[in-house]
Amino acid sequence: MTDEHKPHAPAPMVDEVSEFEVLEIAVRELAIEKGLFTAEDHQRWTEYMHTLGPLPAARLVAKAWLDPEYKKLAVTDGVKASLEVGIDWVNSMPTKFGTPSDYCNLRVLEDTPTLHHVVVCTLCSCYPRPILGQSPEWYRTPNYRRRLVRWPRQVLAEFGLQLPEEVEVRVEDSNQKSRFIVLPVRPEGTEGWTEDQLAEIVTRDCLIGVALPRPGKTANDPRPVRPALKPYHH
Amino acid sequence: MSKPHYDREHHAKKATGIGDPQCFKGEAPPPKFKVGDKVRVKDLPDIFYNRAQVYTRGAPAVVAELVYESPAAEDESWDNTENVTWFYSVIFKQKDLWPEYPDTFANDTVETELPERWLEPL
Amino acid sequence: MSSNIRQKVMRHLELCGQVQPALHEETHAPAPDQIDNAHFRAYTRMSHDVGGEPDVPIVWEEKEEEVWEHNTFVTCEVLAWRGVWNAEERRRRQNVDVGQTQYLGLPYYGRWLLTAARILVDKQYVTCSELSDKIDEVRKRYE
Repeated sequence: MTDEHKPHAPAPMVDEVSEFEVLEIAVRELAIEKGLFTAEDHQRWTEYMHTLGPLPAARLVAKAWLDPEYKKLAVTDGVKASLEVGIDWVNSMPTKFGTPSDYCNLRVLEDTPTLHHVVVCTLCSCYPRPILGQSPEWYRTPNYRRRLVRWPRQVLAEFGLQLPEEVEVRVEDSNQKSRFIVLPVRPEGTEGWTEDQLAEIVTRDCLIGVALPRPGKTANDPRPVRPALKPYHH
Repeated sequence: MSKPHYDREHHAKKATGIGDPQCFKGEAPPPKFKVGDKVRVKDLPDIFYNRAQVYTRGAPAVVAELVYESPAAEDESWDNTENVTWFYSVIFKQKDLWPEYPDTFANDTVETELPERWLEPL
Repeated sequence: MSSNIRQKVMRHLELCGQVQPALHEETHAPAPDQIDNAHFRAYTRMSHDVGGEPDVPIVWEEKEEEVWEHNTFVTCEVLAWRGVWNAEERRRRQNVDVGQTQYLGLPYYGRWLLTAARILVDKQYVTCSELSDKIDEVRKRYE
């Protein structure tokens, strides 16, 4: 590993406000003073953000595993299928026209025993926030975005996922207005499980496609967590 | 710079209760391509902005789905929303994108979405 | 205090030299005959278009979110909610218009933040001096 690719050394803990913090406050206050939005608008969006996370997407997958009709709906109309797990891509958010950045066109990518999907956005880091929450840091890195479309099996192996050659790896480059989640194959050893039990093993990483669900595994693989200087608590 | 009759709420008025890209439904001319068509990505000039990845240029692909109608990103980015077009989900063979991609994994693919102006029949 | 400012300026100029993208050809405002069409394309490439560029494996990390990062994301979404920009304009400004050095050099939400400031000035909601005065005022609150 070259120095360039080591995680950055932590910024020195100085008891001073950062230029990022200053500029953030300045922009927000100016926008409010000029009447572009209100403090209440900002607060309402923050409250909306607090409602987000990967659970609705996990539940969508669990339901699709249990109900073939629902699976058909999920694969053909992800936005409609989201309603049954409590996510309205148009009206759940304060705008009532979707979130600006995520649009309203969820596509659910169905894996089979011979097809595995994995999602990237090579141009930025588009991600289905309304149903999956905020994207992980690694998903936003230029490194993941550079390499996944060209060396997907190497990158997946780094995430601990090695797939046999008879499985087609399909990289979904999420570059326009659609947003994507992966619907993995239901793993063996889950016969007779309830929707709640199934949803527990559908982790965020499974929904991006860098991991496969398996009984007993209810969390993403452990990875280093880069701490914030002044962390935001959801 | 703002247009003479710019209305900040014009998108909200169009999309409220409907969503985006749903709010552009029915505005595009009839699609030129259908599912299964073989296409090639054009190498149009990269002037200022677009979302047609350079790695796809000139590569053959198959249309997998007509996904929605919307202005192309290069227009909508300046809030020009008059020219609505079909967007296609297209699938490339990895072998057609990267010369060094191993033969062992010849079935591997990449899927992405492109507006009609970036595609030509093959 | 002016000598302090001068020291900062000198350190800044030195650091600017060091954070330039590594170029492997002579540059610095070449004459037109030195830029063929391939070079024109390379210099005008969109900084966001990184798919397929070679890179080496890194440690995949999760990250805690800074308060300012959260607030920046919300500000950008609310600016779009209220029609100051649409998400496509935001994506262009923060992923392409910022240029290669800022694109690769700043944190993800650092680019969002600079772009949010920029849109207020570009669309004449705020003058550049108002923005400058506001930044100065906020800084002083923390001194």
